[in-house]
Amino acid sequence: MIQLFNVSKAYQRDQNALDDISLNIDKGEFVYLTGSSGAGKSTLLKLLYCAERPSRGQILVDGRNITRYGPTRIPHLRRNLGIVFQDFKLLYRRTIFENVAFPLEIQGRKRFEISKKVYQTLKNVGLEHRLNHYPLQLSGGEQQRVAVARALVVDPLILLADEPTGNLDSEVTLDIMELFKQANARGTTIMMATHDNTLIQQFPRRIITLEAGRVALDDSLLGDVS
Amino acid sequence: MSLASICTIAVALALLAFFAIAVLNVQQLTASWGEEIAVVAYLDTTPEEAELKRWLREIEAFPEIAEVSFVSKEQALKLFRDRLGEDAVLLEGLGDNLLPASMEMTFVEKNRDRATVETVVERLRQDRRFEDFQYGQGWLEKLEAFLLLLRVSGTALGGFLVFAALVIVSNTIKLTLYARQDELEVMTMVGATSLFIKLPYLIEGMLQGALGGIVALTISFLAFEVALQESLGSLLLITGIDTIHFLPPNWQLSLIVGGGLIGLLGSLFALRKFVRYDAT
Repeated sequence: MIQLFNVSKAYQRDQNALDDISLNIDKGEFVYLTGSSGAGKSTLLKLLYCAERPSRGQILVDGRNITRYGPTRIPHLRRNLGIVFQDFKLLYRRTIFENVAFPLEIQGRKRFEISKKVYQTLKNVGLEHRLNHYPLQLSGGEQQRVAVARALVVDPLILLADEPTGNLDSEVTLDIMELFKQANARGTTIMMATHDNTLIQQFPRRIITLEAGRVALDDSLLGDVS
Repeated sequence: MSLASICTIAVALALLAFFAIAVLNVQQLTASWGEEIAVVAYLDTTPEEAELKRWLREIEAFPEIAEVSFVSKEQALKLFRDRLGEDAVLLEGLGDNLLPASMEMTFVEKNRDRATVETVVERLRQDRRFEDFQYGQGWLEKLEAFLLLLRVSGTALGGFLVFAALVIVSNTIKLTLYARQDELEVMTMVGATSLFIKLPYLIEGMLQGALGGIVALTISFLAFEVALQESLGSLLLITGIDTIHFLPPNWQLSLIVGGGLIGLLGSLFALRKFVRYDAT
């Protein structure tokens, strides 16, 4: 589902944020991306949704080479991805319903279909009673659940999450993880950047550890996948 | 809708409207000067009546010529006498009428320029029956230079005003977009195409621009009625124009359409910076 071939990314000359990374992530896998701050976790995710371009190497997503995707093809790639950020990135002038409906509207889905799908997804994350509220009327945990709902409403091939639980307490974190697990069970490939080791121990999956832009450990290679 | 952008566009376009009013009225003035362009061709001898008629018809057939009239020796003397008024007694001492007969030609509007006048004169000069020509060569040159200056400075200043309006509008729209920066980023993240994101802003910009155009038209019309007509009128009266005109209907429409266009382009320039899919 995701393949990286000798990918490097340099923001400045002679200073690689990512250095010669090769990875293969299969369909339906759940992968943690770990490492200290500045190790290159966010950069790697950004390369996957084309917010950054690699300086060297090739990236394939669902069999397509996205390395040189331009502004006309990027939107279509992103429609197959669900992206969750640490800071939620919701549309604050729109209601919860409108936030979750937005990716479907973009795809030109029918209104009836949108209402049904949005309601169902909000029910899954336990927020169906909040659909007419605005994001700032919700707690942080609830806002992140809205963001997860927005990512999952399109049944994405891949869910990319950049420290999704970084701002949340442990109880809410468990809720979010539960949603990710359910999505994964439905076939969505998940790549989640985190440095929360307790979380990884609670929900053990394949771990890719980055250090100074290189893969320091990939425990699937050690045959240690839980 | 941002009130700030509408006001900015209105002020910029009102300036442009005032400028256009001034230019159009000065153009009207110079056009009236153009009417005075004429060639007087003096004749050696007065031809026979039939010959004269044929001759006049020949000249009248020139596409550049609007009108041609014959002034006989007697008419010339009478005109001269009239012009001298009380001093006409001076002519008493002269014996024969020394004034030559002549033909006076005026030109159709599009041919009131030096090059055409000179071509026509050259053509007539081939005809040996004319003795001399008079067509205010020096004055024509000056008029043409002045018209050119007016056209060049009008275009340059008008272009500059439009450009300034575009920059100001684009920056005003940028300010409103700063407030929505996060929203635009989120839209790109969930897969909205550039057109999907930009279209509402472009339409909004265009409507604001057109509304600005309507406000500008109202402001300039009120200013024209209240103050401009009188002050500009008294200024131009000296030069021989009795009525000052407001912008003609097609210009009024252009102001509104132009406002819409400025709003549209301004939004387009401003959006380039805000709707981006990658950091490069």
